[in-house]
Amino acid sequence: MDIRSTPKGTESTGGGQIPPEWLEEFEAAARRPLRERFRYAFIKTYKPVMDDADYRSFESMAEYRRWCEENLPDWLGYGRV
Amino acid sequence: MGAFEYRQAEEIRNAFSRHAVRYLFIGKSGAILLGFPDTTQDTDLFVDRSPENCRAAVAALGELGFDLSDAQTAEIERGKDFIQLKNGPFDLDLIFAPDGIERFDDAWQRRVEVEGFPVCHPDDIIASKAAANRTRDRESLPRLRSFREYWLRRRRRED
Repeated sequence: MDIRSTPKGTESTGGGQIPPEWLEEFEAAARRPLRERFRYAFIKTYKPVMDDADYRSFESMAEYRRWCEENLPDWLGYGRV
Repeated sequence: MGAFEYRQAEEIRNAFSRHAVRYLFIGKSGAILLGFPDTTQDTDLFVDRSPENCRAAVAALGELGFDLSDAQTAEIERGKDFIQLKNGPFDLDLIFAPDGIERFDDAWQRRVEVEGFPVCHPDDIIASKAAANRTRDRESLPRLRSFREYWLRRRRRED
């Protein structure tokens, strides 16, 4: 799981303000071909419980969210706020 | 199993196209296709749950190498809200009713095509993450909202 915090001085970007360091990252990404972006973007690490079954299905998203909260370690970040 | 690769995304695109499956990349994988620089482990597809489309999705998944039992096939054909597949060449989440998006057709109208990949509009990706309201989504939303601003500006410049 990647954790990124909002840069100092930028509480919200709803009004259109983009933190300069993020803007640089967006522009750098835009210069890279999609195939290359894929190489950096998709990662694979073992997720306990989640990766221990080869198939799961849920009747509703609420049921899925509940299952995540009841079965996955908190640090995976699947719990609702 | 390793990380999801570009050629696997191409395989999805090609197999789903052959079977005329209506689907959209959603979640962070969708955002990455749009240019969002971040990391993810998940490949999430928002699939139209019409019976015909679900049957086509099953056929495409079989062609991709997913080993589906009869019961699993029936669940996909029924369009259960959320299905997690780890029984194929790569992990895949099928989402038939993402939080925050009312109807597939609405998202389909707003879709963005990136190298032939159908992707949810950033507004839909943000709406679904905001509605899911998980810790991991809350952490990524400020940056995703900034990316949306950047993406819209860039798009306006290119038009």
